[in-house]
Amino acid sequence: MTEATLTADATAARGTGEPMIVMEGVDKWFGDFQALKGVDLVVGKQEVVVVCGPSGSGKSTLIRCINRLEKHDKGRIVVDGIDLSDDVRNIQEIRREVGIVFQQFNLFPHMTVLENITLAPRHVRRWPKAKAREKAMELLERVQIPEQAGKYPGQLSGGQQQRVAIARALAMEPKIMLFDEPTSALDPEMIKEVLDAMVDLAESGMTMIVVTHEMGFARAVCDRIVFMADGEIVEVGPPEHFFENPQEERTKQFLSQIL
Amino acid sequence: MATRVDTIEPIPVPEPERPPTRRVPPQEWARENLFSTWWNSLLTVVFGAALAWALYKVTRFVFFDAQWQIVERNLRNFVVFHFPRGETWRVWAALFVVAGAVGLGAGAAATRREIEVEEGRAPAGGGRFLLVRRAVPLVLLVAVLLAFARSLEATLLVLAAAAVWLVFRLAGRRVPARHARWVAAIVFAALVAAYLTITAFGGVPWDRWGGLLLTVFLAVGGIALSFPLGVLLALGRRSTLPVVRWVCIVYIELIRGVPLITVLFMAAFALGFFLPATWDKPGLITRALVAFVAFTAAYVAEVVRGGLQSVPPGQIEAAQAVGLSPLRTTRLIVLPQALRAVIPGLVGQFISLFKDTSLVFIIGLTEILAVAEIATKQPDFLGQGLIVETLLFVSFIYWAGSYWMSRESQRLEARLGVGYR
Repeated sequence: MTEATLTADATAARGTGEPMIVMEGVDKWFGDFQALKGVDLVVGKQEVVVVCGPSGSGKSTLIRCINRLEKHDKGRIVVDGIDLSDDVRNIQEIRREVGIVFQQFNLFPHMTVLENITLAPRHVRRWPKAKAREKAMELLERVQIPEQAGKYPGQLSGGQQQRVAIARALAMEPKIMLFDEPTSALDPEMIKEVLDAMVDLAESGMTMIVVTHEMGFARAVCDRIVFMADGEIVEVGPPEHFFENPQEERTKQFLSQIL
Repeated sequence: MATRVDTIEPIPVPEPERPPTRRVPPQEWARENLFSTWWNSLLTVVFGAALAWALYKVTRFVFFDAQWQIVERNLRNFVVFHFPRGETWRVWAALFVVAGAVGLGAGAAATRREIEVEEGRAPAGGGRFLLVRRAVPLVLLVAVLLAFARSLEATLLVLAAAAVWLVFRLAGRRVPARHARWVAAIVFAALVAAYLTITAFGGVPWDRWGGLLLTVFLAVGGIALSFPLGVLLALGRRSTLPVVRWVCIVYIELIRGVPLITVLFMAAFALGFFLPATWDKPGLITRALVAFVAFTAAYVAEVVRGGLQSVPPGQIEAAQAVGLSPLRTTRLIVLPQALRAVIPGLVGQFISLFKDTSLVFIIGLTEILAVAEIATKQPDFLGQGLIVETLLFVSFIYWAGSYWMSRESQRLEARLGVGYR
């Protein structure tokens, strides 16, 4: 079972060493189907973790539990010292700290790019309009599409939309960014522009958990790779370890299929 | 032998190809579309003849045979019925206020749209004479009313109202886009002012209104009140609180299971039982309005619920993830998308309401359809079979209103659809 593979560096987080996200024995059920089976994971401050595994293995569920888009049924999740409980205030507080980028972008189609990005800062953080706007333009510069500020999401390419989604999440100045297969819905020629934005973010010291099949990104950027199968964490390790010397049979099988 | 390229010449860029345009001469078009087979030719001839005959009969009736005196002499009854003559100026004054308010709103909207087009967020659409084309049904209606009125005074007043509209539209064009919210508030205040112009300061309370004025009042009041109520019911039906959900479901299903006439009768004759005994019994028109609002709200709720279901769950997740509260998520993310998805259904419901106001004549109110019936019983017109004339006139009024609403809804859809393309 899992204990065997949870080697020393699995629970000991990297980054600065301080834990940012702690998950202990997290279970999640969808009806009769168990999506997460006693997941233990600690992510350190400024650490970048890539989660991979076959479809249906619980990767998305894992990160969606962190900001309570899914409610875990058992176990404990602590985000930056805040215990994720049923208390609405706790949930709101955690959501301010955690940004998420979805596979399908989920931009608000009835708002312009600028409105998409300034919405939460203005209504949740109660920033004045000018400040929110300034921050939004700064973020659009950072993801290199300031000229699209006045357009609607439907007028942008997939890659541009996903970069707007990244800017929207960053506008709340989160301490943690979650990415749920951010490049899976993109045409091949647009994947790089999104990955570039993510690399830039990782280099700036953001704590990130990235569910992705982009192994190039994993190799180049991440501190640890988490391999999941059937709702369990099968293997955890730094990328060089993970790619060169996988321990588990299921990991080897998975790698042979995608590499 | 291999060919060699000695000089680098610019590759000629081919002219961009255009889709082939086909100009078909009329004879050929007719042969293709009307007489392609012997069976189609037969259909064309038969239906063409029937159409021509119907057209001839209608034209002949409308312009030669019809006894339009009944409409001419009852025009005042059709428009306001027993509204006190001395107070008619109030209706005109209200018309001026409404013309100004609508003009201001239209001007501000046009400016906003212009900015959107300039910034490349909306397609430049509409084409020439858009304003005129949009107003066609209403202009037609006013023209017919004035033709029957044959009054210089009325014509001048209508032209003056049009001038007020134009002046305020020009003023509205100069309102900066960021003040759009103020314009909306002013327009709303002006509509209230128009209502007060008629009723307040020794005016005529709405329980004494009649004719077209009553029809429009019931339709506008019904739409304005049933829409928010319907949205609340739709949201309530999806509430996580079982009590709220069940109250909404029971209300919607009860109302939808009952004919409108029953609801009207109930409001007219049974509403007293539901109110505290100490309350004054509300007037008949108030009760009719309550019935329309209660009835239409249930249907609006179901239409809106369809829209709510069409909003992808990812939208709500994204709103939650950036920390928006459930209330803000609904107001800022879900409702705007849900409502624009159901504009056709909503407007259909409102057109129904507009035409269903004619049913109030069965509880003793005198809107235009009732006037059409009463007029034929006047001594001068009794027993002359003139109901065809009055019905035709009233039908035309209903058609003009409904068609105008339908066209405006199509325009609204086209305008709001931009973000999706």
